[in-house]
Amino acid sequence: MSFAKGPALAGLFILLISAAALAQGDAKRGEYLAKAGGCVGCHTDEAKGATRFAGGRALKTPFGTFYGPNITPHPQAGIGRWSEADFVRAMREGRRPDGAHYYPAFPYTSFTRIVDADLRDLWAYLRSLAPNNQASRPHELGFLYRWRFVLGIWKWLFFTAGPFVPEPAKSALVNRGAYLVTALGHCGECHTPRNFLGAVKSSRFLAGAKLGETAVPNITPTRLKNVSDAELKEVLRTGMTSDGDVLAESMAEVVRNTTSQLTEQDLDAVLAYLRSLPPLPDESK
Amino acid sequence: MKVKAVAVLVALVLGAAAGTVLAQQKPENLVKQRQAVMTLQGKYFGPMAGMAQGKVPYNAEVVRRNAGFLDNLSRMPWDGFDPSTKDVKSNALPAVFTDQQKFKEASSRLETEANKLYEVSRSGDEGAVKNQIAAVGKACGSCHESFRQKQ
Repeated sequence: MSFAKGPALAGLFILLISAAALAQGDAKRGEYLAKAGGCVGCHTDEAKGATRFAGGRALKTPFGTFYGPNITPHPQAGIGRWSEADFVRAMREGRRPDGAHYYPAFPYTSFTRIVDADLRDLWAYLRSLAPNNQASRPHELGFLYRWRFVLGIWKWLFFTAGPFVPEPAKSALVNRGAYLVTALGHCGECHTPRNFLGAVKSSRFLAGAKLGETAVPNITPTRLKNVSDAELKEVLRTGMTSDGDVLAESMAEVVRNTTSQLTEQDLDAVLAYLRSLPPLPDESK
Repeated sequence: MKVKAVAVLVALVLGAAAGTVLAQQKPENLVKQRQAVMTLQGKYFGPMAGMAQGKVPYNAEVVRRNAGFLDNLSRMPWDGFDPSTKDVKSNALPAVFTDQQKFKEASSRLETEANKLYEVSRSGDEGAVKNQIAAVGKACGSCHESFRQKQ
């Protein structure tokens, strides 16, 4: 009997090590996921030479101006004192470590769908950044929107926490695309119209929206059916069409930070998913 | 003397008439023309952007030629955004006519960047040229952001 103990113990040991390795998170994978999530867009100032992830970018909304905070591991200015559980709760539940609610300008409405393993990798990547001491700038919000407890009601109405679950009836490629678009890519935050309380209308998912006087295009098959995969990929890789037309800067930035950085397979998955959506008519003007 | 005065007068009248003819361009024509300029900008900018992204082999000769064309083209569209065209259907947003100051800045930025590209394309440093091509692309995109309907 006793001779079987050795290998059994060794097996247990290996299991423990691999569990520890899993629990550690892979910073390299996390870096790719951070690109797929476009984190750098809001968490980096627009000024030339600004430190990536040190915060400062202004996001103007009808409710006020939000400033992306510093998410480098600096203990005071950044999130250096956070635990992994704090990070997971921020992304999954939209809550600060002290329990207060985040404004949904931080798109946890999408990020809640990111699966546990990916959150771990993202966290490992954020921990690997150089700490930066740039203080986060407070948001400048309209009078009515300054109380964070109101967000509890908002979340109760419009927010469901929980990771993405693949649909078994759909192909692995379409499911991967759905994950990239709805969880990490948070495409719907701009491409889906919102109601007067600023919540996205799920029945109009990706059917285009009005931001101020400019319209964000419909990216369901209604709009995409006349565009070939090759053309779409070209646009998402370069920010330009083959006839030399240049995308507007807000999407050009998404192309630089995210879509041009995706692997060939992931880009294929995004297209496959978008093409699988129900074709919705454009927003009425 | 008299003949001269008459000649000047005639010239003035003709000049004024020419001005009026220009001013009376049909709004639809102005729109068509400015769109044509934008199309040509795309034609000459596209290949350069491809080179800057490493999609097409770098060709200094083509860049020199295209940068020259683009430098001139970048100055052409703007008088086509005459107030008379504001009701003509196009992808131009109302901000073009309501926020003229900002539109002027955005259009001047393209002229400046395109002109810089023309200069740099003659100096021959491939890296600097590629950077400047990217700067032109950003000038296009930032103007489209505020003044063109998203495509």
